[in-house]
Amino acid sequence: MKRSAYTLVLILSLGIFVTSIATAQQQPAAPSAGTRPAGNTSKGTINGGGAVVTTGPAVAASAMVQEVDAAGVKKLLTRGEGATARPLLLNVWATWCGPCREEFPDLVKLDEDYRPRGLDFYTLSVDDVAEIKTAVPAFLQQMRARMPAYLLNAPEPMEAINHIDTAWGGEVPATFLFDRHGQLVFKHSGRIKPDELRAAIDKALAEK
Amino acid sequence: MKKFSALAVSFVFAIVAMAALSVKAEAGVENSEPITIGSVVEDFKLPDAAGKEHTLGSLKGGKGTALIFVSTGCPVSNAYNERMEKLAQDFKARGIHVVGINSNVAETPEMIMAHAAQSKLTFPILKDKGNRLADRLGAQRTPEVYLLDASNKLVYQGRIDNAQNPQMVATSELRSAMEEILSGKPVSQTQAKAFGCSIKRG
Repeated sequence: MKRSAYTLVLILSLGIFVTSIATAQQQPAAPSAGTRPAGNTSKGTINGGGAVVTTGPAVAASAMVQEVDAAGVKKLLTRGEGATARPLLLNVWATWCGPCREEFPDLVKLDEDYRPRGLDFYTLSVDDVAEIKTAVPAFLQQMRARMPAYLLNAPEPMEAINHIDTAWGGEVPATFLFDRHGQLVFKHSGRIKPDELRAAIDKALAEK
Repeated sequence: MKKFSALAVSFVFAIVAMAALSVKAEAGVENSEPITIGSVVEDFKLPDAAGKEHTLGSLKGGKGTALIFVSTGCPVSNAYNERMEKLAQDFKARGIHVVGINSNVAETPEMIMAHAAQSKLTFPILKDKGNRLADRLGAQRTPEVYLLDASNKLVYQGRIDNAQNPQMVATSELRSAMEEILSGKPVSQTQAKAFGCSIKRG
């Protein structure tokens, strides 16, 4: 009798172990749909200068790229008072960057999958400001990207780089995930590995 | 005894499970450990695009060496071709040599040779196969500079200047650091960042 009790304890421990590993690796089930609206519903975005810029419906927004300076980047990351409840994914890219263009369809898919589940996702282009009405929106439109899109206009790039991550050297593409408290919890330089990024997002969304 | 064994096994499982979870939790933010300012870069041996082997010792200048990670295809690196060549020409006779390093996995010696000829780059460019030197120094992008003094000590790391567009250049950190080496002064700004292309590792 005692022996079977020990066996039971052993089996239960093994079960707990296997479950912990599986939980750590699998993506949690999608939360009930409709808890968060799809697409960018935020009608006002505050830039570094404090101006409120209105964004239109999702499709039109893909053609609209907001210019930000270094202070604007900082504001994007803090997202103002009371708006810190959603984890934030930031992708820094440029039209001149091959891997950035290559990974973009994966990013658009991520946005479609996770925005309804509570993720904010911004893209920040480091193209020349002259491209703000040409190559950048053209590419975003081609990608059917619905994430709020920004373009950095900063003659001194170092300040913006350090606002995002002081340990980052400025190589693109670079993707950063901040948790609900604004803490950097995941980063990747170079083309993203979607499974790895999805696991990190799942974790950030699961944490309250 | 048996009870003890069962409890011990359970305990081990629990510890392993916790360890697995904590490793998973910490795997997200990967911090490479790049070489720090003031450290000495040890000698290395790499081939040029023609396959000829060179060492840092054989290529270094009497007063210093600027190792610049470059790319044949990165538009940012290419925007600096003329500026890199000018730096190489300006400082060669004064004792600081410019050495290009190509660590991009997809850029072959043939591509490096053709690109150097087309871009009129006359300084040596070495092929860092397997990106071992890039890993050792912590280089992440092109163009990215590691400026060494006469004793191969790292005195400046980072960008060439603040702007890809030559007309927007306001600060030339690499040139200033090279001038400071030559005048025997300590380098005042030891690091500076700019956007560049990520090095594609193999």
